[in-house]
Amino acid sequence: MSAITTSQFKTEDRWERAVPVFGFPVVTRFFLVLMALTLVALVLTGYRELAGLGPVSGMNDAFGWGIWKTFNVMVLTALGSGAFAVGIAAWVFRRKKLHALMRMALLTSFLAYASGLLLLGIDAGRPWNFYWIVFPWKWNMHSPLAEVAICMSIYAMIPLAVENLPPVLERLWYFDSRLRPGVEKMEKHLHSVFPYVIALAYLLPGMHQSSLGALMLLAGERVHPLWQSPFLPLLYVWAACFMSFGCVAGCTMLCCLVWKRAMDMDVLDEAARITCGLIYGWAALRLLDIAFREQLGTAFHFDRFAGVFWLEMLMIVGGGYLLQRSVRTHERDKMFMGYVLSSVGGMIYRFSPTTLAFRPNPQALYFPATIEVLVSLGFIAMGVAGFLFAVKKFAILPGPLYLWHDMASYFRFRRPYIRWTGYFKYGFFGEDEELTNNPHE
Amino acid sequence: MAITRRELITTIAMTGGTAAVAVTVGTGTLHAETEGPRIPSAAVGLLYDATVCIGCKACVAACAEANGETPDTRGDSLHQAPTDLNDLTRNIIKLYKPTDGTPASFVKRQCMHCLDPACAAGCPFQALHKDLESGIVYWTADKCIGCRYCTITCPYHVPRFQWVGYNPRVTKCELCSHRLAQGRKPGCTSVCPTGAVIFGPRTVLLTEGKRRIKETPGRYYKDKVYGETDNGGTQSLYLSRVPFDDLGLPELGEESVPEKTLRWQRRFYQYFALPALLYAGLVQVIRKSVKGHVEEAHEHEKETGLRAQL
Repeated sequence: MSAITTSQFKTEDRWERAVPVFGFPVVTRFFLVLMALTLVALVLTGYRELAGLGPVSGMNDAFGWGIWKTFNVMVLTALGSGAFAVGIAAWVFRRKKLHALMRMALLTSFLAYASGLLLLGIDAGRPWNFYWIVFPWKWNMHSPLAEVAICMSIYAMIPLAVENLPPVLERLWYFDSRLRPGVEKMEKHLHSVFPYVIALAYLLPGMHQSSLGALMLLAGERVHPLWQSPFLPLLYVWAACFMSFGCVAGCTMLCCLVWKRAMDMDVLDEAARITCGLIYGWAALRLLDIAFREQLGTAFHFDRFAGVFWLEMLMIVGGGYLLQRSVRTHERDKMFMGYVLSSVGGMIYRFSPTTLAFRPNPQALYFPATIEVLVSLGFIAMGVAGFLFAVKKFAILPGPLYLWHDMASYFRFRRPYIRWTGYFKYGFFGEDEELTNNPHE
Repeated sequence: MAITRRELITTIAMTGGTAAVAVTVGTGTLHAETEGPRIPSAAVGLLYDATVCIGCKACVAACAEANGETPDTRGDSLHQAPTDLNDLTRNIIKLYKPTDGTPASFVKRQCMHCLDPACAAGCPFQALHKDLESGIVYWTADKCIGCRYCTITCPYHVPRFQWVGYNPRVTKCELCSHRLAQGRKPGCTSVCPTGAVIFGPRTVLLTEGKRRIKETPGRYYKDKVYGETDNGGTQSLYLSRVPFDDLGLPELGEESVPEKTLRWQRRFYQYFALPALLYAGLVQVIRKSVKGHVEEAHEHEKETGLRAQL
């Protein structure tokens, strides 16, 4: 296996360093479209705060939750659990190759959580009462929703933000030599608290991603039996794991295609292998759970629930099969398709209990209103815009070592007038003179 | 990998042993706590006898008046005829009329004031809470964040959210507690012409319901007072000749919804013991990982001459 792997791509293409995407402007037509969408969403948000939720959304008494909660929070934070899932694989289970993907995982997680949390605040009818969050004795400790709201905000604001600091500090270090002593001191402090922060960054999402599943436990029989299960919390957090692997690895592959970077198939194979294992385990647990609750029969009723169920299962397991195959045959397109299929299938799974498989009463109907969709899209656009900005300004995307040198020469010879790019300021290697003349060179 | 795995197993074994103890201890305490919900000392409630109700809807109008609500005339701008409970309607009379000729029945819907309310179990900042004395489930405006989780969790689908306006409220029956404080009965019971709905202490109402069943055997469905044990027991009690399920009162069993569904959730977060243990184990493993990773990064830095990225 490893012999084939190494013969497939050149050793110098190995991802060894995170390198910013250089040579592409931040403000492109696509970026402007994203900004316009965000702006529209912000204006509509203002309208929503004045008019209330009814006029802007399709929510009603039967479906109290719309896509803002069920899609932007429940589904997109699952995609954004990369910092949790990839992080655990890399730091706890020491799959060292996956460290190459960590910065991507941390960034996507941060953006998904930030945009989700903002929308959660807008979705709340009486957001001014959120101040109770600072009085722990007022929390309802046994409420899954309290768990989600409190845990998610703490997670996004403290451990996830701290984990995302290194690329920013690194950028400051390159930006100006006068900042270096300060930055180095900060990095030292950061490294000493890192184990505690990282451990918190795995405990908290594990708690709130499972509590997102526990939310629907209280809805009882109103959730279709194919989804309603005592294992819902476990299935939810597990789905978040393979979905976020798909999101991180898939996004990285897409970025490599768009910005023409070499792909390190060693790392991607490792990620695909783990994802595939997670998918098979998840599917087995789900099927066993349904079988033991004696609900397997409902999967063969001719109704929309059975349809959604098979769609989910086929997409997820099919994606898992494609991943398994791509590891064997090194077909990148199959691998990418595998990630897309399994993640989209997982998204439907996470969406179903609250919406597609939620049956408050026979007449109840929910379809998102135009404004609701625009706001939802706008907040997603904000995350995507943030991502595009970050990968172009910070060293996030993994790349081969030569790319770093390419970047240095690019800034030196093609765009010498740009001073603020920072990464280039000190000599050919993007380092200061002292380091470039060191004996190791 | 060999070292990692061994180390991991040791850590898990170490924390696992302690965790097992913690769970056992936690489970013991929980068993004591969950032997059925506690019945409030002065629990009050309603007894609604569907076989006596004539569907005049006087209680619907009286409820709105007693709570200072504008009559809900949104249907035809003329009649106060809401189709369901909503942000202006805490109490409603509905008619169940099957097409196959089996008996029809009116049903009065309002908050059940469950002994273990699911709405309060899910409410993040205790905006919905059960009064320890009267057992009335209250909504507090300045604790509610408007998440609408109560509208999802309530098995009777009672709390309703106000969809229009910048300062939305959650509307539900609070047993006219302001009238109770004045020594008066709730709005709905004070106007009922046939005495289909009566107010009183829960124990009295329960005895009354059982008396009616005993007096006229076969009149009531399953000879049962709905709410005695259903969903862990409720303070609004029902008598009916048609199945309760058809009236929108699902057969939920004797265990309350929160007790049934959140058992493991509660056990896991009991005293926060298990998460804390898990955290300690994670820190142990990650400390070693970080140390190794930093060393490797510095070696790589020496090899390439480029500053280490962590």
